[in-house]
Amino acid sequence: MLKLIAFRIAQAIPVMLVVAVLTFLLMHLLPGDPATIIAGDQADQASIDQIRRDLGLDRPVPVQLWHWIVNLAQGDFGRSLMLNQAVADAVKERLPVTLSLAMLAFAITLPFGIAFGVIAAVWRDTWVDSAVMILALVGVSVPNFWIAILSVILFSVTLGWLPSAGYVPLHDSFSGWLASLIQPAVVLALFQIGYLARMTRSAMLDVLDQDYIRTARAKGVAVNTIIVKHAFRNTLMQVVTVAGYILSLLIGGSVVIEQIFALPGIGRLLVQAIMARDYPVVQGTMLLLGFAFVFINILIDLIYAYVDPRVRYD
Amino acid sequence: MKHFTPGRTAALLLSAALLTTAPLAPAFAQDPKMGGTILYANNSGPGQLDPQMAASLVELEVIAHVFEPLISMDANYDAKPMLAESYEISDDGKTFTFPLRKGVKFHDGQEMTSADVKATFERYAEVSPGKATLADVKEYRTPDDYTFVIELNNLNAVFIDQLKTPVYPFSIMPASQRNKPAREIDVVGTGPFKLGEWVKDSHLVIEKNPDYTPRDDADGPDGYVGKKEVYVDAVRYNFLPEANARVAAMQTGEADITTALPLDLAKRLEGNDKVTPVTVFPYCQQYLIVHSSQAPTDNRQVRQAIREAVNVEDLILASGEAARENFSMVYPGGAFFVGDDNAGWYNQNDPAKAAETLKAAGYNGEEIVLQSNTNYSYMRDSILVLAEQLKAAGMNVKVDITDWTTNASNMQSGDGGWNVSTTSFCSNPILGPQQWQTMIYNFPHVENNKVLDDAYAKFYASLDLSDRVAAWKDIEAEVLDGAYMIKVSDRGSNRAIANDLKGFREFNINLFWGMWLDR
Repeated sequence: MLKLIAFRIAQAIPVMLVVAVLTFLLMHLLPGDPATIIAGDQADQASIDQIRRDLGLDRPVPVQLWHWIVNLAQGDFGRSLMLNQAVADAVKERLPVTLSLAMLAFAITLPFGIAFGVIAAVWRDTWVDSAVMILALVGVSVPNFWIAILSVILFSVTLGWLPSAGYVPLHDSFSGWLASLIQPAVVLALFQIGYLARMTRSAMLDVLDQDYIRTARAKGVAVNTIIVKHAFRNTLMQVVTVAGYILSLLIGGSVVIEQIFALPGIGRLLVQAIMARDYPVVQGTMLLLGFAFVFINILIDLIYAYVDPRVRYD
Repeated sequence: MKHFTPGRTAALLLSAALLTTAPLAPAFAQDPKMGGTILYANNSGPGQLDPQMAASLVELEVIAHVFEPLISMDANYDAKPMLAESYEISDDGKTFTFPLRKGVKFHDGQEMTSADVKATFERYAEVSPGKATLADVKEYRTPDDYTFVIELNNLNAVFIDQLKTPVYPFSIMPASQRNKPAREIDVVGTGPFKLGEWVKDSHLVIEKNPDYTPRDDADGPDGYVGKKEVYVDAVRYNFLPEANARVAAMQTGEADITTALPLDLAKRLEGNDKVTPVTVFPYCQQYLIVHSSQAPTDNRQVRQAIREAVNVEDLILASGEAARENFSMVYPGGAFFVGDDNAGWYNQNDPAKAAETLKAAGYNGEEIVLQSNTNYSYMRDSILVLAEQLKAAGMNVKVDITDWTTNASNMQSGDGGWNVSTTSFCSNPILGPQQWQTMIYNFPHVENNKVLDDAYAKFYASLDLSDRVAAWKDIEAEVLDGAYMIKVSDRGSNRAIANDLKGFREFNINLFWGMWLDR
């Protein structure tokens, strides 16, 4: 198992390198110059050139890429052009916000998504199935910025139950932290619940049609036992795959939700950095996200072995 | 001093009428209450707070509270001394002497002296994108701790007006910051507020500076100058990029004041008995920028044809902004407003004439690229309507919608193959001709224009205001007649204020001294 982990991590290195080079090149392909943005529109050409020199943007792109990779190898992600701080610090400040939001949304998604999927499958082709699947369809289809705005109008403006925006760090107050995150987390989870419910239902339907389920029924095993022990356990491979995918999406930060609820997270950082052509921040954040995807994939592989004893990596 | 032209008087009367009905009026009737924190829902946060590098509104707004320059602007946007006791200009217009106010302390407790002022100017000349202002400085002198002298090589009639600029402001910093690289200073000023907690992308707090001594030669606040008295303990800027969230924050009482509201969202606050929406003028002016070094708009007549085809009323309607019609590149009532002489090029709305001009220009259906962006809907929608107006006059138009960063960079660099774009200028129309110069030359990419060059030379050379106004009249006429820029409108700034936040003054930016919470 340890060998597998080491192997997967070693495999991740070239992947990360490709992510790094691609992000770097894509960013530099974008028109727009950070020096002009920093200087402001009142600046003369000489000042813009000076800023470009100061930031090393006047060097040829391959040279900039080489310097960046060399620094990266030494653990230096560079310095943000706009925020005037190290990229690692900028990301570190915002990571707790995004992780809090992601974990809370994930914690809401898992039980509801799985439960709805199982219920729809067990009562397939009845009104329950239709109702659950329509709800799931709504969750997947309705844009979350719209739900977010409606939710704020209802829960913050009209009822006054929750704050309309902003983030309270966990170490300041637990209740404040929860209050500031519960609304964005639920809105964010609606899409994921819909997605997970549909995938779980389809996986359950495949299993419920299997001979061994019919056999279990025929020999009089209790319905609940069949559903939970015989059917659901056999869908876990698919459920874990989808859940892992959902988690990596969540860690990528929800740009829209962080924007609407004014949460200072990774998604917002990334969007601002792209708008400002803050190359080091975009590159650093993309690398982090790439790493998160790779890491979660490794985690999923390990969970496979746990949920399905037939899977062995040695 | 501003003149009371009919336009200005009407604006004043209107403001007075509004004040008598608006809940903002009791500002004058009540004694200020001390304490509390004003919650300000702002659309974004500063990236940095080095005044010498600051050009964005969110940065400048914080900087205006924390730092102060020698010379700043009063409520009419005229130059007034702030940290200077006064100023004196030599007869030849080359030497400027600033006696400094005594007993002014930085937030770190040190007293401000001429050494700090000198260090600030020296650093400015090295790092600031606005350093062109100081390019002609012969020397700085500090005869004593409380006197600072700037000597120029040549006469500069508007040097004091250049020093009042709120963009890359000449804010005085401690001499210890002299060699700090650009954007890496310690945020230590002399202002009535000092920097408190700052979490980037989340919030920023400015706290009352208990050691602040206001100027005693004014009755109350006056733009960036005057008697700055702070009644609240702090102001907390919460960065809420989404306009819906800012409106919701006002509705729930999570914000006392907000800004940058689209007109349709501001309307949601009408009828709310705790909040008053306000539209503040003057704020910004919207222009169509015409690229004069890019075919086919390098042909003056093609540019003029575009101007003749423009129907400003439809552009304003499409923009969805709170906007007023005004032909001028400055505001009615200001010293450089030249009356109706330059009005003839505005809102011509004459496609037939435009078609004739195109014919005379030898226009042969060459593609005219209109570039705009998705980030600012008012810009995009104006450009989409403009495209139809130009097509109606027989032009072959292509619309290119990109993101704001690309659009803005292209406008500045001249790259990207565009012919017409649109943007707003906020400080330039308020600050006057010297502040317009860079934009007038850079945005339309003006090359070899002797009329402009001569008029600007005249502008800087005369200490007599009437000569300078005459020079500006020529500059404005050349820009508008040559259709380097086509004026669209004066845009207002839509804000909202909680009814128990008192002392709000309509100004280009929100200034929190003189404001208090009545609760």
